Amino acid sequence: MLPAARGFVIEDLRRLEADALAEVRAARDPRELEEIRVRYLGRRDGLVSRCLRRLGGLSPEERPAAGAEANRVKGALDRALEERRAALSRDGASSEDEPDLTLPARTAWQGTIHPVTRAVDDIWSIFRSLGFTRARGPEVDTEWYNFVALNTPLDHPAADEQDTLYLAPGLLLRSHTSPVQIRTMEQYPPPIRIVAPGMVYRRDTYDATHTPAFAQIEGLVVDEGVTFVDFKATLAEFARRFWGPGTRVRFRPSFFPFTEPSAEVDVKRIIVREDGREEETDWIEIMGAGMVDPAVLDNVGYDSEQYTGWAFGMGPARVALLRHGVRDLRLFYENDMRFLGQFR
Amino acid sequence: MPVKVSYRWIRDVAPGIGLDAAEAMERLALRGAPVEEWVDLAEGLKDVVIGRVLEAGPHPNADRLTLCRVAGPDGEVPVVCGAPVVRVGAYYPFAPVGAVLPGGFRIGKRKIRGSYSEGMLCSERELELGEDHAGIMLLEGQYEVGAPFAASVGLDDVRMDVEVTPNRGDLLSHVGVARELHPEGQAGIALPLFPGGRGELAASFARGAGEASSAGCRIHIEDPDLCSRYLGAVIRGVTIGPSPRWLADRLRAAGARPINNVVDATNYVMLELGQPLHAFDLEKLTDATIVVGRARPGESLVTLDDEPRAITPDMLMIRDAVQPVAIAGVMGGRDSEVSGQSTDILLECALFEPRQVRATRRALAMSTDASYRFERGVDPAAMEAAVLRAVSLILTTAGGTLDGEIIDAHPRPWAPPVVRLRPPRASHVLGVDFTPDAISKLLVPLGYAVEAAGADRLDVTVPGHRTYDTLREVDLIEEVARTHGYDAFPEVMSAARAGTVPDHPLFQLEDRLRGLLAANGISEAQTPALGPKEHGDVALLNPMSRDEGHLRRDRLPGLLTHVERNMSRGVRDVRLFEIGTAFALSGDGPPFESSRVAVVLTGGRTPPHWSSPAEPFDVHDVAGVLGLIAREACPDAAVVPAGGRADGPAGGRAQQLFVPGRCYELVSGAGEVVGWGGQVRPELLDLPRWAGAVVGGEVVLPAVPAPQPDVTARDLPDQPAVQRDMAFLVPAGTAAGEVLDTARRAAGRLLETGDVFDVYEGEDLPAGTRSVALRLRFRARGRTLTDREVDKTCRRVVRTVKEKTGVEPRR
Repeated sequence: MLPAARGFVIEDLRRLEADALAEVRAARDPRELEEIRVRYLGRRDGLVSRCLRRLGGLSPEERPAAGAEANRVKGALDRALEERRAALSRDGASSEDEPDLTLPARTAWQGTIHPVTRAVDDIWSIFRSLGFTRARGPEVDTEWYNFVALNTPLDHPAADEQDTLYLAPGLLLRSHTSPVQIRTMEQYPPPIRIVAPGMVYRRDTYDATHTPAFAQIEGLVVDEGVTFVDFKATLAEFARRFWGPGTRVRFRPSFFPFTEPSAEVDVKRIIVREDGREEETDWIEIMGAGMVDPAVLDNVGYDSEQYTGWAFGMGPARVALLRHGVRDLRLFYENDMRFLGQFR
Repeated sequence: MPVKVSYRWIRDVAPGIGLDAAEAMERLALRGAPVEEWVDLAEGLKDVVIGRVLEAGPHPNADRLTLCRVAGPDGEVPVVCGAPVVRVGAYYPFAPVGAVLPGGFRIGKRKIRGSYSEGMLCSERELELGEDHAGIMLLEGQYEVGAPFAASVGLDDVRMDVEVTPNRGDLLSHVGVARELHPEGQAGIALPLFPGGRGELAASFARGAGEASSAGCRIHIEDPDLCSRYLGAVIRGVTIGPSPRWLADRLRAAGARPINNVVDATNYVMLELGQPLHAFDLEKLTDATIVVGRARPGESLVTLDDEPRAITPDMLMIRDAVQPVAIAGVMGGRDSEVSGQSTDILLECALFEPRQVRATRRALAMSTDASYRFERGVDPAAMEAAVLRAVSLILTTAGGTLDGEIIDAHPRPWAPPVVRLRPPRASHVLGVDFTPDAISKLLVPLGYAVEAAGADRLDVTVPGHRTYDTLREVDLIEEVARTHGYDAFPEVMSAARAGTVPDHPLFQLEDRLRGLLAANGISEAQTPALGPKEHGDVALLNPMSRDEGHLRRDRLPGLLTHVERNMSRGVRDVRLFEIGTAFALSGDGPPFESSRVAVVLTGGRTPPHWSSPAEPFDVHDVAGVLGLIAREACPDAAVVPAGGRADGPAGGRAQQLFVPGRCYELVSGAGEVVGWGGQVRPELLDLPRWAGAVVGGEVVLPAVPAPQPDVTARDLPDQPAVQRDMAFLVPAGTAAGEVLDTARRAAGRLLETGDVFDVYEGEDLPAGTRSVALRLRFRARGRTLTDREVDKTCRRVVRTVKEKTGVEPRR
């Protein structure tokens, strides 16, 4: 073989390399790349392979250099093909192997927290930031805890306001979370700063705004120097944080046997309508509250001259109703997956 | 129960109020007596005007019709009228063409028997003002033709339903509400004279302690603790008949139904002043005697609503010389009631003890306007005014004369209570400084008398209408805050000390579980704890219905009803959990309460997706969820296949609820069953045919969960692991878990993890066997394991499994 033949092999390899690299750069999809690979590197008819077969015609001295050059070209082409393939798949070119990214995603089930629990949680998180902790008590309780210790004599019409469910004479389903006030103060000394979420029961039949069992959340603060001003300020702060900064808060005189002075707390909140306009609601009653009656403090052995306090009770289901625009309370207890699934 | 008041009536008893109805309602809300609902009484009458009949003659084609010319708002129009009498020149309520009457009837131009009629002269009934529909409503006096009818006759009024809290019996009257509205309070009250009346009644009283008499009538109080005063007036020669229009209108405006002139007079005074009254037919009272005392054994009474009442000796009765004639403070008897034939009456104006009235009316399961007021306290200082006003009204509307003196049996004279108030204490509670002078200015208009009694001390004399709820210093402090106005207090938050009560750990556990389960695709449900007998052992004494008569013993059955409801609505994929209280009988004591978390799963384990069909939930998912809950709630508990045991407080639940062989129990470290789960027995569910398996479980949460220990982090391993797979041919009846446990134990200390990675059943295996493949991963601390020791260990595992369980490796 002439020396020139050796030169030809190496030259041919370099020309093939240049051509191939140009084609690879120009390729627009993985199929084209595959064609290029077969044309140049195909085992039988690939241009580079054919070139390699010519190595056999070279002298033993020339063979290593040409062989090394052939391997280099093969490696360079392989790399270029791989890089281009990766680049194309990044750019979103498609092929049978590539995913169709427009298909719907694969998801997992999403569980939701019940809207009434969400209301309790949101109320609690505000009071938590105001230094409150949570207390709990039994749902079946005695007349003493549910009424008498709360300054509600059983022969007073106030005991009628909550038509109570009884298990046995003197033993009842608590008609409010207020018994937790008594149980907590019996167990712990002042200062007291608690909320007590829980279920309560009344002899109501089901309708759009009543259920015989419903959630309530109680609050109690007792310490030296706690005043009506502090009471108003804290609950108004709560209401604005819960219902939004523009919310107006109103305290109206009311009556609960275990608080005096007593108040109903109303809010007028700002809602954004569908057309984006802001609108103020009517006054909405959100809780009953008041300064702890000294008789309640006396009943748990606190010195009512030394300590004062305030308390509140509110209904998270009603809060959830207002907040989510739910028309009928019963929806909360039907537990239809389609209803619950909205509260993501 | 709200009290219904007519705003026109309120303005009549306190002429200086100077607020329109809307302003009055706003003020009432801020004084603690919000208006729940209100009705514009003239609303339905807004189209009705004053019409005047100019001509009236017989209808040419009908005997019983009258053809009139009526002057109305649009001039003179022909009107055909069906009333027997039409007076020419008189004024009538007139509904012109286009008007809509209160019942919704629209007046059109009509042709009646050949004559056009352009409007209607109205009867009381057509205007919903009364029952009279025989004749059209003749208006006495002079009116402006075409003027609005309601305003012209004084029917433009607003009826308000005022919500009265149980402590404010004084608000159960027009005068009571007016006192809150008038700027001068009590001093602004001036009761109007009755139309056609003879002015103020002058009468004297025949006073006695336990007994008094006059006009041949004797009143005796046997039990002064229950009836502190009984006033009686004998009126002779009355003519019972309908009340005059103004009185009937007034009662109706306040939501009451007119009956006859005497009964209406008693109702009028009750609604105006809050004092319940009762009129007896004097002839029906044996020996013209009233005895107030407890019922005798065996007595009975039919009340004026025709109901026989079961009288017991603890009830206070009004009796004549021989028998009971009324239940004191609750309701009169039928046989002594004023009737159309009555001529002589005895008017009762008494004060009964609130608790006594309450106990009686509760025992009789009834409530009346009178009992409602007595329970909440009737003003002892206003009784004489009430009886005089009622007598005066009866004389005006029913005629007759007051015979003799008004009888006054008064064994327990009322003395106004004096309550001490320390202004510094008021400031201490309210957070704003109140001087004695400021307090006095706030309390006096409400009827309190305030007197300084030394430094920092006021003696406050309580008026009769507040004598039931103002007994303590704090009651006066509330009055100060209320009249000062809650709005007037600043809102300044003061620094608070931390409380002594720790955040209850069960709330924290419940929070974690909620987050965990929701994150696992399960939605929170809520079920009322009241259920049917099948769902609970603890029964209520006074349930509302059979379906709500018991407290739930478990939470899962409630969730299953939600599965049924969802599926009945076509929802197939249901994943719900719930945290709530369960109740168990506990001897004679209160039921035992435990917080539970229950879970139910059915449908696809994943949302539908084009890539592969969703697999349905099965019992292995329940095992996973129970384990998830257990890790948070009771870390020492283990999920095990449910055995046949039915011991322990929760024993047997798995067997009752789940398909045999498809259930688990969660067993605590102490060996107690604290949870159960499995595939729910299909016979417990009412599901559509397409429904798949329903699986679920329940875990009893600890009453006071232990605090979560801190995690101590382990170093990551510095040596490579060696992994070996081995398969066993497990025959039916042998538990794969047993093979796995045996293998794990046999693998010894070098084993890092060991698990089942494949279970295979196929024709190439011997009949009745499964291939269970284990993957064991070994690692030694501080050195690299050699193949030799791992191989040796694996041989030991295979040998031990065969020895202990008889299970052969798969070759």
